[in-house]
Amino acid sequence: MSEVAATPSNHQSETFSARVLRQTIASNGARFGLAWIGLVTLCAVFAPLLANSHPLLMRVGGNWSSPLLEHLTWIDTTLLAAFFVGLGLWMQRRRLSGSRALLLMMVLVTIAGSISYATVSPPVAVVLDQYRTGLADGSIEEAIFVPIAYSPTDRSRDNPLSLTAPDRLHLMGTDEDGADVFSRMIHACRIALGIGLVATGIALAIGILYGGIMGFFTGWIEILMMRFLEIFESIPQLFLLLTVVAFFGRNIYLIMAVIGLTSWPGYARYLRAEFLKLRRQDFVQAAQASGLPIFSILFRHMLPNGVAPLLVAASFGIASAILAEAVLSFLGLGVVDEPSWGGMLNQAVGPGGTFAVWLATYPGLAIFLTVFAYNLIGEALRDAIDPHLQRPVS
Amino acid sequence: MSLLSVKNLSTRFTTEHGAVDAVRDVSFEIQPGETFCLVGESGSGKSVTGLSLMRLLSQSTASHPAGQALLNSPRLQSGAVDLLRQDETAIARIRGARISMIFQEPMTALNPVMTIAEQIMEPLMMHLSMDETAARARALELLEQVHMPDPATRLKEYPHRLSGGQRQRVMIAIAMACEPDLMIADEPTTALDVTIQAQILELMAELQARRNTAMLFITHDLSVVAQIADHIAVMQQGRIVESGSRDQVLYRPQHAYTRQLLAALPSRLKRRTAAHHVDSGDTVVNIENLKVYFPVRRGVLQRHVDDVKAVDDVSLAIRRGRVLALVGESGSGKTTLGRALLRLVPSTAGRVSFRDQNLLSLSARAMQPFRSALQIIFQDPQSSLNPRLSIATTLTEPMAVHGIGANQSERLQKAGDLLLRVGLEPEMLRRFPHEFSGGQRQRIGIARALALGPEFIVCDEVTSALDVSVQARILALLDELRSEMNLTYLFITHNIDVVRYFADEVAVMYQGRIVEHGPVVQVCDHPNHPYTRKLLAAVPRFD
Repeated sequence: MSEVAATPSNHQSETFSARVLRQTIASNGARFGLAWIGLVTLCAVFAPLLANSHPLLMRVGGNWSSPLLEHLTWIDTTLLAAFFVGLGLWMQRRRLSGSRALLLMMVLVTIAGSISYATVSPPVAVVLDQYRTGLADGSIEEAIFVPIAYSPTDRSRDNPLSLTAPDRLHLMGTDEDGADVFSRMIHACRIALGIGLVATGIALAIGILYGGIMGFFTGWIEILMMRFLEIFESIPQLFLLLTVVAFFGRNIYLIMAVIGLTSWPGYARYLRAEFLKLRRQDFVQAAQASGLPIFSILFRHMLPNGVAPLLVAASFGIASAILAEAVLSFLGLGVVDEPSWGGMLNQAVGPGGTFAVWLATYPGLAIFLTVFAYNLIGEALRDAIDPHLQRPVS
Repeated sequence: MSLLSVKNLSTRFTTEHGAVDAVRDVSFEIQPGETFCLVGESGSGKSVTGLSLMRLLSQSTASHPAGQALLNSPRLQSGAVDLLRQDETAIARIRGARISMIFQEPMTALNPVMTIAEQIMEPLMMHLSMDETAARARALELLEQVHMPDPATRLKEYPHRLSGGQRQRVMIAIAMACEPDLMIADEPTTALDVTIQAQILELMAELQARRNTAMLFITHDLSVVAQIADHIAVMQQGRIVESGSRDQVLYRPQHAYTRQLLAALPSRLKRRTAAHHVDSGDTVVNIENLKVYFPVRRGVLQRHVDDVKAVDDVSLAIRRGRVLALVGESGSGKTTLGRALLRLVPSTAGRVSFRDQNLLSLSARAMQPFRSALQIIFQDPQSSLNPRLSIATTLTEPMAVHGIGANQSERLQKAGDLLLRVGLEPEMLRRFPHEFSGGQRQRIGIARALALGPEFIVCDEVTSALDVSVQARILALLDELRSEMNLTYLFITHNIDVVRYFADEVAVMYQGRIVEHGPVVQVCDHPNHPYTRKLLAAVPRFD
């Protein structure tokens, strides 16, 4: 190795994470995946502003008011706040280090969430037909609606009619309750995104902690932890989910938690293997020789070097969590009030054997595209991380 | 007529960031039966030259904008062929048959899922259209020729059963299988111990003489070159800066770079004057009967059946301000001993005394204050720095843990001073390890060891991965630091020349035991133990 070399040319001054990010984004598959996930995210965040029966603005007795904003829930406002905080931090990314930005984001979102929870209280009883009757009899003089003027739970048997095929009024038709399918599709983005991120987040957190400890310590600790992990792996996820739903009711958060709690062993195994390899590296030995605390060695020196394969696994994990929720909803065991793509699929076949093509097509396509998008991102990430696929640079 | 004549060869790599010329305008000729050495430091383009001739570079990234390489083999019907302009099928007939190659790393050059026999027989059946029985007989004969012990059994075995030297013998057998006219050997002995290196060099010379095979020997080691070369070409930054006969280049060098390379050889360096440093007689670290055993466990119940005795009953006193060299071949336990002292590897028995405490009996918490006094520098500058942390973090984090410096800005100031002291710029603190060259990284490794103000540093093969000129500068730096900060080094190495230049005392380690220990001059000039004698005799001499 010559000492004079090290010309700080473009590719040498690039950090590993920057290179992985660049190469991931460079692949067409990942671009498509990210674009689709971005679209789903936008729909999820702005759902009440895209599809809502409440008028954005209405005039009653000469006074303008905005029922839509009055009926926002604390979840709506928290999501909006999180989105804009994230956007703001992204604009400032040059001034903030990654970990600091993440911490700031978490703090700000928590603050926004708790403020929303404490202050935002939409009216409980809502009669969505009031706007239609009001407009018809003239008590509402003027109203401006958002692009899709139907809430996902705007169920009316006569207007709109139930189970109408797509037409100009309802672009994706209506379901058996008379709710607008397009509106439900948009609002269902929340569950699709949330279930994937929360369940995988739980699984990653447990997997990293468990796998990290397993990979660093040898001997009895590792053997015992490994056996416990194997026991955990033998529990079938779907049957556990069915059991939990049967006993504790259809709670989306419970479903997220169960998916998260059953899918961590894979991540723990990955991280253990990475740590076994890293433990022998000189820089880890150097950290030990300097007497750094075990927490710092594990999570500051080893984890960032071993986390890459975990991210690949996580992107596939998100996809399978979305599928698991869809399966539950399809079996009729999903959430009741909130729209979900799997639940809509379930409604495609009516009790009398009627088949609503539009109710099968759109949610089915959305599930397929989302799972596909995450898989494409995972694949591009894996290619970017795998050193065997790197072009040799002399 | 020469066997291979290379004219104006250039090799260009097309990368995402533009074209890089790795080899520029290189010309040389190799006569039948001679040994032609291509010498240079890493990044000089010597390996790329060899791979270009074999056409083993990836076609999607490498191209040859100019030049030709005429191979004039007496056994090619078509007469002389330009290796660079052959298509894939034509070059495949030449590769292995007329030109063969031996690589540096014997551990990875053999296919782990094929037996030795299959790997030797494959080129025979491919190129010479031998049938299986004939090929097997020939493979056995070849293994005998490379002096493989018990060749008939070895044929049926898989590579993992063989040692590094034995694998390199198999590689040579494969390379020799079709009796090529030219053998390209890319650092074939660099990964081997000196005693094995001597055997392999001897074997290659013997086979070469028997068949009149020409050899293109690519290496960075001028001492090896001095032993085997007929002609030498010195490469720097993709160009040949000097070439000529062995005696011309080595003893009457014309080019400044060649002179600089020769001057940096540790055997040519003037022995450190400070080596005659006053001996205070004060012991810093005292090792008594240290044993490090790795248990071998078998069966379902993981029964403890045997031990691998990595360090077996070693006693050693390391005196203040001195450099104690620990010499031995790979597997002798020298690295394990160094790490056991710092409790990076658990010890089985014995005492390591430091400041009247037995380090081995301390709890992890009680060990903590001693961590700052005992430090280590590693061999591989690639893996010794955390790629995800900036240099500032790497240097200041241990300081913070040990309460050095009142606040972060004070620690950063101190880290900057350290970088300046080891010959780097304080502005480099913000950079990440991949932005540095190997020598610079090794300097950062030294700065990290110094950050905590140590008394004693284990230097584990610190210069083995470096080029000679960089090695000379790093050794000079370590020497300055030693006298300036009154440091004591345990200098682990396999390089006897470096020991002669750098150390005060030397301990020779063999199979986990110290077989000889004494002042450097005495041990090197009048070795007592047979192993020490064998080791010293195997070192390539060049004077």
